Amino acid sequence: MTAPKSSFLKRMRSQKQLMLMSLPMLLYVFLFSYYPLWGWTQAFQNFKPALSFSQQEWVGLKQFRFLFRDDTFLLVLRNTIAMSFINLVLGFVTAIVFAILLNEIKTRLYKRAIQTISYLPHFLSWIIVTGLVANALSVDGGIINVVLMKLGFIHEPIMWLSKPHYFWGIVGASHVWKEIGWNTIIYLAAITSIDPSLYEAAEIDGANRYRKMLNITLPGIKSIVIILVIMNLGWIMDAGFEVQYFLGNGVVVDWSQTIDIFVLKYGIQIGNYSLATAAGIFKTVVSVALIFAANTTAKRFGEDRLI
Amino acid sequence: MGVITRKRLWGSLSLGIALSLALAGCGNNNNSSNNSSKSNTAANQGTTDQAAGTANTDSGSNATASDDLKPITISAFIGSPNQQPTADNRIYKKMQDELGVKLNMEFLVGDLQQKLGVMIAGGEYPDLITADPKLVTAKAVVPLEDLIDKYGPHLKEHYANYWNQMKDSSDGHIYWLPNYGAYTGDFLATNYSGPAFWIQKDVLKDAGFPTPKTLDDYFKLISDYAAKHPKTVDGQPTIGFTTLAYDWRTFPLTNAPEHLSGHANDGGVVVDNGVASVFATQDIAKTYYKKLNDIYNQGLMDKEAFVQNYDQYIAKVSTGRVLGMFDQHWNFQDGENELISQNKIGETYVGFPLTYDGVTDHYLDRPVLNLNNGFGISKDAKDPVRIIKFLDALMTEDWQKTLSWGEKGVDYEVDANGKFTRTQKERDEQNDPTWKLANKADAFYGYAPKMEGTFTDGNATSAGTQPDEFYASLKPQDKEILDAYKHKTWTEFFTPAPENPVAYPAWNIDLIDGSDASVANKQMTDATLKYLPQAIMAKTEKFDTVWDQYVNAYKKINVKAYEDRINSQIQWRTQNWSSN
Repeated sequence: MTAPKSSFLKRMRSQKQLMLMSLPMLLYVFLFSYYPLWGWTQAFQNFKPALSFSQQEWVGLKQFRFLFRDDTFLLVLRNTIAMSFINLVLGFVTAIVFAILLNEIKTRLYKRAIQTISYLPHFLSWIIVTGLVANALSVDGGIINVVLMKLGFIHEPIMWLSKPHYFWGIVGASHVWKEIGWNTIIYLAAITSIDPSLYEAAEIDGANRYRKMLNITLPGIKSIVIILVIMNLGWIMDAGFEVQYFLGNGVVVDWSQTIDIFVLKYGIQIGNYSLATAAGIFKTVVSVALIFAANTTAKRFGEDRLI
Repeated sequence: MGVITRKRLWGSLSLGIALSLALAGCGNNNNSSNNSSKSNTAANQGTTDQAAGTANTDSGSNATASDDLKPITISAFIGSPNQQPTADNRIYKKMQDELGVKLNMEFLVGDLQQKLGVMIAGGEYPDLITADPKLVTAKAVVPLEDLIDKYGPHLKEHYANYWNQMKDSSDGHIYWLPNYGAYTGDFLATNYSGPAFWIQKDVLKDAGFPTPKTLDDYFKLISDYAAKHPKTVDGQPTIGFTTLAYDWRTFPLTNAPEHLSGHANDGGVVVDNGVASVFATQDIAKTYYKKLNDIYNQGLMDKEAFVQNYDQYIAKVSTGRVLGMFDQHWNFQDGENELISQNKIGETYVGFPLTYDGVTDHYLDRPVLNLNNGFGISKDAKDPVRIIKFLDALMTEDWQKTLSWGEKGVDYEVDANGKFTRTQKERDEQNDPTWKLANKADAFYGYAPKMEGTFTDGNATSAGTQPDEFYASLKPQDKEILDAYKHKTWTEFFTPAPENPVAYPAWNIDLIDGSDASVANKQMTDATLKYLPQAIMAKTEKFDTVWDQYVNAYKKINVKAYEDRINSQIQWRTQNWSSN
């Protein structure tokens, strides 16, 4: 029984430089990722910033009860998951399609130019992007309305931003516009790692372009896609904050408000930090559960997994 | 080879260790400084208030003689967006030369409540901080009454009549130095910066200077003018009526009913016989929003009114396209200033006190102390005594004149009778934003305690309220309008204000962070912003349906918690303030 232990110690000792080197990282993780978890205790208190820990009033699950009894929070939850899901699916589909199409372009210069142009919006901040979006959708000479009217699809400008049911679509489209080029990069990299002889063999067998895309390129990047899906599922409770905050308004609030905005309004802005913490804990728990679920599913299908 | 890799390894190792030590060090430092500041505040707040005060005195008076002008930098957080003054700003430089104080100002970017929330969560504050009840709840500011008693004779005198009102209702301490509303001498009002239904001067001129009294009169003027002038001179379509409901600036949408029904501005409630009630779903509100619904369906209402943010609203006003709106004058002043700088005086506004039939207007109110506004001193301030002395020095008449009027002979002249006037060049400079950044200390002065009314020599405390100077500074178009209505000032359009009730106004009552009242308040705002636009933009026959949904949404909210808090505070104020 002692044998494995001593061999563990032995291995530790033989790798002591490695151990020492990883120490700062461990400290870092502890300091910034685990130590703050202490703050979770706030969720079970009526937290007042000025009081010390022992002076705080403990209220049990009151904050959680408020969250789940509140109609708004349920709407907010729906919005968050829906918008996140839309962004996830749209993001993946468009990026993969775009990457495959880009890959088919043979002129290097042309390909480079398209790629650069498509990922530039990624570097704009959301405040700028939402400004552009709001301008484009404006009733007052916004380009979308102008184009649609010139083409004869509509007779009167549509107030895009005050129609609740358009909101998710607008957010999804803005995300695609901003991130498509950036998301493509990783798939392009994955595609380059596919063995060229596969394509040559397929060609000899008489496969056309679409066959090759379908049977070689797509399977070639499958594992990358799955890893990315698993990783991104962890963020499903983060549908974003800026887009919804800047584009949203009173009229569309039932469809635009996300958890983060709710927390800002009912937590930070009115000084109810406990509520904010409770919502944060809820988000984390759901995210972790989702990651594990996705991971198990991937395992079942015999694919590469994250953990 | 071996040696080299070894060296590299040790190099990176020692780097790593250094890093981890540094991190650990940071952690410790933070803790200890937090602890010490906590214990400081504890001492200040504890039962030994007096003792702590005297302890401060000793160290203060020792330092006084030699240290009074020793250069010090005071950090200040200003709770509104502003442009940084130029580095060689004349007035700030004078402060530095004569008082030894350099101000390091941080201006608001984004939302104030959010910024303060983050500041509180982080637990670090600048020396001087914009007033907000949130900071009192978080114990981020120190009580000022002892400091003022000992080191602030001018401040004490300035606030003498208001002392009881300044006390926080929760613990009786004074945390804030209100920036507006403490009057001395005569109260002069020339400009009107309060709420009103505003209408462009050109519209009035076009219609032969009528006096609209009701919503019908008002919207008839607008619709007639809009029919005649579908586009502005610049070729943009005119907008009949707009409103704003963005962030905390929801009052342009929500406050009109209380004024129409002859109540004074109490915010979200109307106060009858000392009892406050939320009016958002009452009939006085429904009548008004029904009218807006008509206006919307006539195409006179701005389609984007409920989607626009504050900047877009200001931008819209500054193009001169907007014929009218309900708002507080100070809220759209920036847009109007833009029009003035382009000399589009005809497109600036006159306010009218519209009411429902048979109601006397109560738009104009007597100035009240602007509670929960101005500056407080944070618990992190190293030298509160010096800060109070600095603010006290600024309360002297000389400094007040400098901050408000400017420098004698440069910014204003004194005539033979001792009256302050300005030359045309000096007036123009006062309207030039770029010049002001280099020659005025407006950003700081706005939040600092200030004299209002008249100085001891009879001059008004600001050029805008000096009657002769006010009339002289008007543009010819403005004089034409005032002459046509036989008025001398903009306030004469309103019924003179009756005496304020002691507890007035209810809008500055602190709801206490995280309480049921503040949650209810937030939910009420949310419901209002969601349903009112829908109701206004609905087809005429759908209005009632949406209105019923709105009323039902309100029924789910704990409105009573909000009303109870307001009413208990009204009673508290009536008891504690009347013994002045």
